[in-house]
Amino acid sequence: MSDHPDAYELLTKIIHLSTTSLPIKDKLDQMLQAINEAFGADQTLLLRREKIVENGFLWRLASENKPFWIKEESSLPQEQVHPREKELVRPPFACLPLFDKDTFQGTLYIGFPKNRTLSPQEMDLLVLVTKEMGEAIQLSHLQQKVGQTSSELTALHEMGKVATSTLKLEELLESIVKTGLKILQAKGGVLRVEDKTTKELKVQWSLGDYSQHLLDEKIAKRVLMTQTPFLLNHSGMDNPIHSILCVPLRSKERILGTLAFYDKETDPSKFDERDFQLLLTMANQMSFAIENALTHYKTSQLAWENEKRVRELTILWELSKALLTTVNFEHIIQMTLTAITIGAGLGFNRAMLFMVNEKSRSLEGTMAVGPDNAEEAGRIWTTLSKEKGILSDLIGHLDLSKDKNSALNTIVKGIHIPLELEDCILSKTVLEGRPFNIRFPRSEGAWIQPACERGCHLGSEVGCHVGEHLSRDPRVYSFATVPLWGKGKVIGVILVDNLYNQNPITDEDIKILTMFSTQAGLAIENAILYRNLEEVHQRLKETQTFLVHQEKMAALGELSSTVAHEIRNPLVSIGGFARRLYRSVPDEAPEKRYTQTIMIEVSRLERILSDLLDYTQKESLTFGEVDLQEILEESFSMVSKDLNGGEVKLTKEYPEGIPKVKGDHRQLIQVFSNLFNNAYEAMKGKGTLSLRVRPVAKNGSTFVRIEVEDTGSGIDPENLHNIFNPFYSTKESGLGLGLPFVYKIIVSHQGFIEVDNRPGEGVTFIITLPAAREEEKK
Amino acid sequence: MKKILIVDDEESIRFLYTEELEEDGFSVEVAKNGEEALEKVSIFKPDLITLDIKMPGMDGIETLKRIRELDRKLPIIMCSAYGEYKQDLTTWASDAYIVKCADLTELKTTIRRLLGLL
Repeated sequence: MSDHPDAYELLTKIIHLSTTSLPIKDKLDQMLQAINEAFGADQTLLLRREKIVENGFLWRLASENKPFWIKEESSLPQEQVHPREKELVRPPFACLPLFDKDTFQGTLYIGFPKNRTLSPQEMDLLVLVTKEMGEAIQLSHLQQKVGQTSSELTALHEMGKVATSTLKLEELLESIVKTGLKILQAKGGVLRVEDKTTKELKVQWSLGDYSQHLLDEKIAKRVLMTQTPFLLNHSGMDNPIHSILCVPLRSKERILGTLAFYDKETDPSKFDERDFQLLLTMANQMSFAIENALTHYKTSQLAWENEKRVRELTILWELSKALLTTVNFEHIIQMTLTAITIGAGLGFNRAMLFMVNEKSRSLEGTMAVGPDNAEEAGRIWTTLSKEKGILSDLIGHLDLSKDKNSALNTIVKGIHIPLELEDCILSKTVLEGRPFNIRFPRSEGAWIQPACERGCHLGSEVGCHVGEHLSRDPRVYSFATVPLWGKGKVIGVILVDNLYNQNPITDEDIKILTMFSTQAGLAIENAILYRNLEEVHQRLKETQTFLVHQEKMAALGELSSTVAHEIRNPLVSIGGFARRLYRSVPDEAPEKRYTQTIMIEVSRLERILSDLLDYTQKESLTFGEVDLQEILEESFSMVSKDLNGGEVKLTKEYPEGIPKVKGDHRQLIQVFSNLFNNAYEAMKGKGTLSLRVRPVAKNGSTFVRIEVEDTGSGIDPENLHNIFNPFYSTKESGLGLGLPFVYKIIVSHQGFIEVDNRPGEGVTFIITLPAAREEEKK
Repeated sequence: MKKILIVDDEESIRFLYTEELEEDGFSVEVAKNGEEALEKVSIFKPDLITLDIKMPGMDGIETLKRIRELDRKLPIIMCSAYGEYKQDLTTWASDAYIVKCADLTELKTTIRRLLGLL
């Protein structure tokens, strides 16, 4: 081998090496080797820029930008040689700069054996070689760039795929982390998302156990706060994590969360600028995708909510239809309560209705729908979920009798709450006319305030019945009340709860419930009006019939009376004078018989007249149901009007529940005015008049007994047996002739009259009249 | 001799009653309506009055009331052509109530009783 290279051979080798597909390092090594061999040098090195000692001799040479050949030590300014490069700076050696285009890459250093010289041609050759080496380096750089670009494109492509792959948030997050892992060649990744409400940064997805390390959380928090990415290589020997790259996930102006990757699988584990850029790009891309997924999620939520509302409104519509089919109060209530509790509807566990009783100013439990216990509740739900019937059918064809016997219904029906119980939530609902939604926090078994002394959770400060029964199950639960409106005032309350499934009651639920109760309120008001209308109508009909009859009878009576009067008077004259003639005519005269005939015929006519009048007059007697209290009051007021002054004390004993009496209103007034007047006269304007009324039973029938007592002088015992005799009367006895008349009326009423006479003390008249019987009402 | 005042709007009735009662030994005076009756009461001062119920103008009941205002004790017999049941509220202020009949026996007996002549 000659010491002087074969230029051609060397160049060919270099070029050949340049075009191989060896990695640049190997290429350069081999080129150096070839140069070394070709030139017979001691060592051939490629000194990278960073390896050249700064401000040293070699460095100076490199900065001159031209090739150098240092032949001897003498031509070496020793002071410029840095101690560290002393080994190298040992002439003879050559230094040539290496350029990748215009960038200085390093110095080609060739150390020659002593006494070697370098010819100008050799130097030219070396220049060519360095040029080639520079080209090779440039090529490799380009290749590297291409490779990078290509892989970046691939990465972007991957990201694109991920971004558009799915709208499902979970899947998306998983893809992001997995793809990131692939692109960055990391060992693990963690994606955290900020919870908008709690402001917490929560792990949504992670690969590897990096999320377990506290460091990860700290880093993520910092990135979130500062809104800048974080890169850390060489986190420390004692730290299990070697390299960390964390970027914020941005969307519009908001930070959604953080994306971090750990331990790049390179040696050393380092994330570089390129990885950084890549991850930023990915984060940007992904944030759009995440935003989309979140929007999609929200949209589905809204859609679900909407569906729920549509379902509820459908139920409302069905209920409205069903309510139109009936005016029966019970049906209406049952339909409403069922619609509220039915599974497909609002689905409350239990519903109860309380109606306001205006007269007693209280709330009365009317009806309740709901299972008696959890097992029954479960049974009902499974049954309902199987049923696919249209809701209106379900409501319309209720098994009404079944619910009547439920335990809950029975209990609620017995509940009675005075409205003045202001702290009771039901009363409050009525008095304030607005709904209440009472939520109790969950707790283990403990009883929650507010509670009344009986442990009622309905917040009553005074013990009430409601709580006792409803709080059989000591679990706390939430419930709601809505008022029932009818004609501008609150007519009732509906109470609903979710005792068995403990679902919370939302404000939306209350709104819908109010809609239901409005419907029910209207329907109930209608039903009540209708019932009243029916009653009134019935009474009107009856009254009409009665009046017509009365009119007829009265007319007839009037007619008869008029006719009777017109006929009677002439008859009296005819008969009277006929009688006179009869008396003045001798027996033998034929006129005797004539006048007798006249008398007889007149008599006959009179009888006919009497019978006729009897009949019509009796018919026009209106035997109806009379209220004795009314009669007594009226009679008394009539009598007291006519008698002025006097000191008469009146005592009345008229207990509750006196049955009505069958009789003629006017006649009975005459009876009692008579008796009262007699009493007054007997007392001569001073004394006590006592009235006592009570029911009695006699022979299995009910009667009413009226006692009229005065403190006069009493009846003379000698006259006592004659007081009802119409042919016997003594005005001096102070009785007047009313008594026979009174007697007659009482008898015609199928009653009895008795006298308790205490001479010197007073008299008590006892009248007993039959009570109007139930069947005769109809 | 006892004095009786007959009050009735029917001429024939007044005639018949007058004939009958005068025959029986009473002094009889007549009035054909309520107003006249009141006049005659103060002038004639009867011991008894028979009072028809249905009369034009002031009817029997009203007349009864007015007479009673003047004299609470004067026996008054209400005579009705209507029938037994057409008794009005204030007929308890009278002493008897009879239905007019061609046979005057009842009337006469009642008159005698009220005058204490039985």
